[in-house]
Amino acid sequence: MATTHGPLSSGDDEVTTPRSRAPATNREPTSQDITTKEGTSSDVIQADGDVDVNYTPPWTEPYVIGIAGPSGSGKTSVASRIIHEINTPWTVLLSLDNFYRPLTPKQLEMAFDNEYDFDNPNAVDLDCCYECVKSLKGGHKTQIPIYSFAKHDREKDRCITIYGANVIIIEGIYALAHEKLRDLMHLKIYVDTDLDVCLARRLNRDIAQRGRDLQGAIQQWTKFVKPNAERYVKPTMSHADLIVPRGSDNVIAIDMLIRHIKKHLALKSEAHLQKIEKLTGKLSFTKENYPNLQILENTHQMRGIYTILLDRETSMDDFIFYFDRVAMTLINKALESCTEYREVVVETPLTAMKSVIPSSKFVAVNIVRSGDCFMHSLRKTLPEVAIGKLLIQSDATTGEPQLHTEALPQSIDDSNAKVLLFDAQIISGAGIIMAIQVLADHGVKPQNIVVITYLGSEVGLSRIMRAFKDVTVVVGMVGYRDNISKEPWFRKRFIDSKYFGT
Amino acid sequence: MSEYPNVLLLPQTNQLRGLYSIIRSKETHRSDFVFYSDRIIRLLVEKGLDQLPVEEKKIVTPLGVEHDGVEFLGKICGVSIVRAGESMEQGLRDCCRSVRIGKILIQRDEETALPKLFYEKLPDDIADRYVFLLDPMLATGGSAMLATEVLIKRGVKPERIFFLNLLAAPEGIEAYHAKFPQIKIITGGIDPKLDDKKRIYPGLGDFGDRYYCI
Repeated sequence: MATTHGPLSSGDDEVTTPRSRAPATNREPTSQDITTKEGTSSDVIQADGDVDVNYTPPWTEPYVIGIAGPSGSGKTSVASRIIHEINTPWTVLLSLDNFYRPLTPKQLEMAFDNEYDFDNPNAVDLDCCYECVKSLKGGHKTQIPIYSFAKHDREKDRCITIYGANVIIIEGIYALAHEKLRDLMHLKIYVDTDLDVCLARRLNRDIAQRGRDLQGAIQQWTKFVKPNAERYVKPTMSHADLIVPRGSDNVIAIDMLIRHIKKHLALKSEAHLQKIEKLTGKLSFTKENYPNLQILENTHQMRGIYTILLDRETSMDDFIFYFDRVAMTLINKALESCTEYREVVVETPLTAMKSVIPSSKFVAVNIVRSGDCFMHSLRKTLPEVAIGKLLIQSDATTGEPQLHTEALPQSIDDSNAKVLLFDAQIISGAGIIMAIQVLADHGVKPQNIVVITYLGSEVGLSRIMRAFKDVTVVVGMVGYRDNISKEPWFRKRFIDSKYFGT
Repeated sequence: MSEYPNVLLLPQTNQLRGLYSIIRSKETHRSDFVFYSDRIIRLLVEKGLDQLPVEEKKIVTPLGVEHDGVEFLGKICGVSIVRAGESMEQGLRDCCRSVRIGKILIQRDEETALPKLFYEKLPDDIADRYVFLLDPMLATGGSAMLATEVLIKRGVKPERIFFLNLLAAPEGIEAYHAKFPQIKIITGGIDPKLDDKKRIYPGLGDFGDRYYCI
């Protein structure tokens, strides 16, 4: 089975709890990365404009681990220990059990008589597994088959959909048997347990958990499992980077293994952050430099509301009320900028006249939780719009944004739908860039995406517009680089905290 | 802006024209008529509020940093002309929660065919306030001018009055301007003319009927 570790799991809580206790610390990598950028300004200036910059999301470079070893050797427990210890969102465990080949009628008959050799390398469709992992690496939404042991066939109507894997663990006796699959792996592990121990574990499992009888289980072992283990499984050991004797009981080996993986994951997130940093643009915010940036006019009302929202004396009641007001104005501005229209003839009660009506369809996507602050106003403007959700959180220690979960409405498949992407604040831009990438991976064209935000830092906004030139960005107030030391609230997430009171 | 010096016309964006297409159409049902009128009213109220002055105010943010902000200056109140004008009260309340709202009832006198004041209920301190006069349609301007006279008699300064409506006719704008040159009209659309029955043409029908009854 493939399990996704991350959404709503215990790991999620561990990341969020310290943050909710101290909301002012480490929410985003910003203050630090804004200052480091100042030092390297000269090459950035040259890069701005002429050089094409691209955003590479972390899931196109997942860390792939293969775990092989004979049946009963403890592969699954090793994999569970790794998942538990690295505690990274979107860690995907792919079991090769999912990739058993569908059986021919004749094989099927044998299988029901316990005569079919499931432990033969040909019983597993390793090519299919390779294609799945490759597709995941391409950032695509990928369908993993589900194998039914009752029917000895792939489930016809069901499969597991995985998207955005950060770490992929491939576990199965033949995990290291396929050359191209091996080439995708960063770490190849072989769990080497004495075959007597394997048999003992297998008997336990088969009889206690799978309801087989002792004789059948032993027959299976001597006829298929053991010979195959010696003939086909054991030789794959030579491909392993690391051999773990005695499986997960081997505390020292597991400990070293996990330290190694953690080190590589840290390097990977550092590389991701650096890529985001490289996106920073130095050009000033003019219409010519950033034609798709729309900044709200700084009217008396906007300045007054801004003051109220920043004032620490403002009650929660007032905060919600005034944020809703500015949210409505931002949504109207966004609709103005992206809606397409067609000409129509309208029949008024008196006569007919030429006019226009909107022809665009809309989908809204919230970045949980700060995008939720816009929902009240959105409902009052587009009451029937479908709303998708993305949970992207910054890692408490590194500040790297991580995609935890995505739930997007069906209507997002309509290639002409305009997608309104909400986030109350843009600080480093990392989260929103990741969100746009998620939408792009789901087939949304960048020119159909409108980012709607209230407070945006110049650095964050420039990164979005350089990573995705065709995305429209509507912002209420900009925290300019030169002022940001006097306006520290542009570097702190506070709007959703005050709006929801938590 | 517009060609009339006393009119602040909302920018005629495609979005706004789209909203008007819906409320103009005689096919539109009341629930949609109300919903989309309310969206336009909200834009009118925001535009009106933007005309009000602010003054500098120093505040302290939750981070303990001082910030030079601004504060809204002056008290406001809404005055609606019964019944159609009342449809705009909620839009005003959506932006100013506890705003005071006065009412003026004007009806056509059966004998003279001229608008006649039947009832008024206004805040006592209205003379100190900015007033948003609410009436969705400015056709001949007869009742609006009468209502404005009431306000001025109660001591409201003309430059502190803003007349908000959804649709105006040139005849009404000019008549109102001739009488009250200092008062700004804030509107979302100006139609070409009045028809022979003094209705805004092409217009959107009777606003009060469509909002409350049909």
